[in-house]
Amino acid sequence: MEMPFLKKLTNIFNRNASCHAGSNVTIQGLKKLAIVGSPNVGKSAMFNNLTGAYVAVSNYPGTTVEVSRGKTRIEKEEFEVIDTPGMYSLFPITEEERVARSILLKEKPEVVLHIIDAKNLERMLPLTLQLIEAGLPVILDLNIMDEAERAGIKIDVKRLEEELGVPVVATISTTGEGIDTLKKRVGEFVKVRSKKGQI
Amino acid sequence: MNLLKSEARKVRYDETIESPLEKIEALLKSDYLLSKRAIGLLLLQGDTEIQNLVKEREGENYKPIEEVAKEIQSRYRYPLNYVITKSRYEEADKITARVLTLPLEFKISFSERLSRIMMNPITGIPILFIILYFGLYQFVGVFGAQVLVNFFENVIFGEYINPFINNIVAKYIPYILIQGLFAGDYGIITLGVRYAVALILPIVSTFFIAFSIMEDTGYFPRLAMLIDRLFKSIGLSGRAVIPMVLGFGCDTMATMVTRVLETKREKVIATLLLALAIPCSAQLGVILAILSSNPKAFWIWAVVVILIFLAVGYLTSKIMPGEKPSFYMEIPPLRMPILSNVLTKTYTRVEWYFMEVFPLFILASILIWMGQITGLFNLIVKSLEPLVNSIGLPDKAALVFLFGFFRRDYGAAGLYDLQQTGILSGVQLAVSAVTLTLFVPCIAQFSMMVKERGIKTAIGIALFIFPFAFLIGFMLNIILTTIAVLT
Repeated sequence: MEMPFLKKLTNIFNRNASCHAGSNVTIQGLKKLAIVGSPNVGKSAMFNNLTGAYVAVSNYPGTTVEVSRGKTRIEKEEFEVIDTPGMYSLFPITEEERVARSILLKEKPEVVLHIIDAKNLERMLPLTLQLIEAGLPVILDLNIMDEAERAGIKIDVKRLEEELGVPVVATISTTGEGIDTLKKRVGEFVKVRSKKGQI
Repeated sequence: MNLLKSEARKVRYDETIESPLEKIEALLKSDYLLSKRAIGLLLLQGDTEIQNLVKEREGENYKPIEEVAKEIQSRYRYPLNYVITKSRYEEADKITARVLTLPLEFKISFSERLSRIMMNPITGIPILFIILYFGLYQFVGVFGAQVLVNFFENVIFGEYINPFINNIVAKYIPYILIQGLFAGDYGIITLGVRYAVALILPIVSTFFIAFSIMEDTGYFPRLAMLIDRLFKSIGLSGRAVIPMVLGFGCDTMATMVTRVLETKREKVIATLLLALAIPCSAQLGVILAILSSNPKAFWIWAVVVILIFLAVGYLTSKIMPGEKPSFYMEIPPLRMPILSNVLTKTYTRVEWYFMEVFPLFILASILIWMGQITGLFNLIVKSLEPLVNSIGLPDKAALVFLFGFFRRDYGAAGLYDLQQTGILSGVQLAVSAVTLTLFVPCIAQFSMMVKERGIKTAIGIALFIFPFAFLIGFMLNIILTTIAVLT
């Protein structure tokens, strides 16, 4: 009790004031799962859900200005989870989009989890198409399913999967619904890809 | 389940794009992690980051690639970005049509209706004032800064902790010198811990509860829409609403969030305004508590600070060259906040804040104690006295300003103590509240300014603010004394 407090006292003037209560552990050697998507679709909530860590979740776009990293366990294997700032396209306009893209360009994630707001499928699919086009290992996550259902919107998930040729799952990241299925699909996906020698 | 039964979807672009794209794909030799097709498309769209990357990796080979890209770009009337994006959207529409069933009729829901009246200036501005009145004034200013603070200050500390500590210290520590370190006017427990726990904690907690609720309902993007036009005139876009409102919680946090702004100009203006005219929650709470006993002084404080915010923003945006910011923001639906999310968020924010101020407040007590022994403390306070006298404040206010240098909230807490002694007149209250609000960003905020904007800009801003705050205090004192509204 004594030591950390004293340490804190002496560190006050040395450290940079920072207030992001996120976790920023660097994890080496693990397979990576990068969470991408446009602003305010529930990326941070999904990150919290998968890792059990806590980064601030808000109902306004652009809350995540820094990249958070954490760990999750999928089918007995540990993954590093990366939460990225919102991006609309692979062709970046803002600083945040540049940060998000550079993760895809430099970190070689084994899974790119594209989270979209299920209510706005047609506005968000272009980025999915772009990620697929870039040869990235995309899994599409139709999030905020509860609001879509309440609005009377129905999505044929199976058909969408066939159309896109990538796995598609439906979730509600604020309550955690669908997360188990998501994890299962991620596990299968990685297994199939490593068999094919794509990893 | 067969996972990857179908082939991954591929978007076909215009033939005029596809054939040069194939040519570029064939020319690219290096491995980029992204597919060559994606790299080629980004090159066609003129992505400078990718251009540099390819130039570096391909060396000599880059020239023919560039030529192909230039040739195709010249053939279109629109930027290629537009053409390519359009094809992708058409593809997305086709897919959507096959998998999506829309409801037969769209009802305009209650939340949609509420959302619209929040963004309409005629109804939106009254709603803003209602939110400010109940959320900020009643909940933070009255409930947090008065009811809770009173309880902690007068009951917990005043009746129990302080007498207890003073007693124990007097009994067991025979040296007056050491007694002063823990108890008495500036002791670690009687001043440092008391400021942190009894004053700052209740105010900051109530603020962050209110803030988190507003945040999770989705009110802020609507507020951004509502005041975008006003903000444009001070060189900011509606996007700046979020760092500005967050500034009312903690200016240090908010200075970091100015990253979300697009242009450098906008970032500098926002940083300046945060440092100058946005009081942090602790400051705001204490000021609301102090001035609530004197409504006229409160209105003078509010109007002066708002006018300075607008005037300084307007002038800076005139002086600083640069493009007008464009504004485009996703409006999320209005949602019922989830209690657990609000509470966790409030908790992590308060925890961060408290862990930051608590050691600092104790450190301040120790510094003051050392300063008192060496006589340095009194020397500094004495040298500040003419300065505070010049804006019409009594000698004792010098101490408050010295605290304020250290931390915004510490200064506010000092002002609270000073007002409790009842020696400040209405004019003095208004003047000291205004000057303390404008006056220096605290150490934490300043270091964040250095980190985000660079040392030159940060020092420039501080050098402007310090004399400016006192100049305004000086003028306000003269005006208020002359027109005698507060006597």
